[in-house]
Amino acid sequence: MVELDLSAPFDQHRATVLPEWIDWNGHMNVGFYVVAFDKATDTLCNQFGCSWEYTREKIGMTFVLEAHVTYDREVKEGDPLRITSQILDHDAKRLHCIHCMYHEAEGYLAATNELMMMHIDYETRRSAPWPEWAMERIDKLAAAHRNLPAPSQAGRLIGIKRKK
Amino acid sequence: MLDSLPYELPELVTRAPLDTHTSKVLPEWVDWNGHMNVAFYVTAFDQASGAFMRNMGLGRRYVDGKLGMTFVLETHVTYDREMREGAPMRFATQLLARDAKKVHLFHEMYHGEQGYLAATNETIVMNIDYASRRSAPWPIPVAARLEELWQAHKDLPRPAKAGRVMALSQKK
Repeated sequence: MVELDLSAPFDQHRATVLPEWIDWNGHMNVGFYVVAFDKATDTLCNQFGCSWEYTREKIGMTFVLEAHVTYDREVKEGDPLRITSQILDHDAKRLHCIHCMYHEAEGYLAATNELMMMHIDYETRRSAPWPEWAMERIDKLAAAHRNLPAPSQAGRLIGIKRKK
Repeated sequence: MLDSLPYELPELVTRAPLDTHTSKVLPEWVDWNGHMNVAFYVTAFDQASGAFMRNMGLGRRYVDGKLGMTFVLETHVTYDREMREGAPMRFATQLLARDAKKVHLFHEMYHGEQGYLAATNETIVMNIDYASRRSAPWPIPVAARLEELWQAHKDLPRPAKAGRVMALSQKK
């Protein structure tokens, strides 16, 4: 397993906006923001051993139950991205987290992605408790993130605000 | 604000909910878990939003004519059941609210043959002026169509999965 990184927020994931992620509006398409975020989820899950090898070895998987994305600013082809991850909550089977995507060079917030993930048994494709060794690491990450303020984008309710 | 659009608008469909959009899970949408990846649910829903906008008169010609665009501000997805490669999808779309520049939509994605609910997507889409890339009121003919659709949708029951806030305590 990789060395556990307890920096808060978790700040390892980097990416570049690929040409095929651009749509007819000339910016990264809404779906590909989530592609980029999902790769950041893999980087986070790798911290507790539940990423690609975990599924390749037919042990288990992580499924997303629910996702909320705020699109805060456009990013264009070739832009460098920095995605940070913060664990908000967890229980025996689930993990609630939020990713923040920044333009790495200009520093602005481009988008956020709040997620509810669940651990899945490979065989049954049903929910199952996190393995003990994963839980230990999740506990440590969550403890490291506990005192971070929750981003204002966490826990949002969608709606059109009534004009005053 | 645009007073008119320089092309013919399609006949307005006002069915409640809107059910014109269908699609299929493409091979490149499937991930290492052997099902449609979370991101491509959003892509599939974005295409359903595209179908909604075409019905409003805001299709490709709106962008290609450099008149305007529509941007998604925020989106919330519930992943209710897996979809495999090649699975047919049908969508039901409800207009939950609208104002001078935005619409609040709720999409449901169903497996086209087996009928089960696969996912839902609540989303806010805003009209954008092409030149300034900033928000702008709907073109007048679009606002009129939106109003007509709203009359057909406003009495639909609010979907149970609309307005969700994420938390572990929502456990059932």
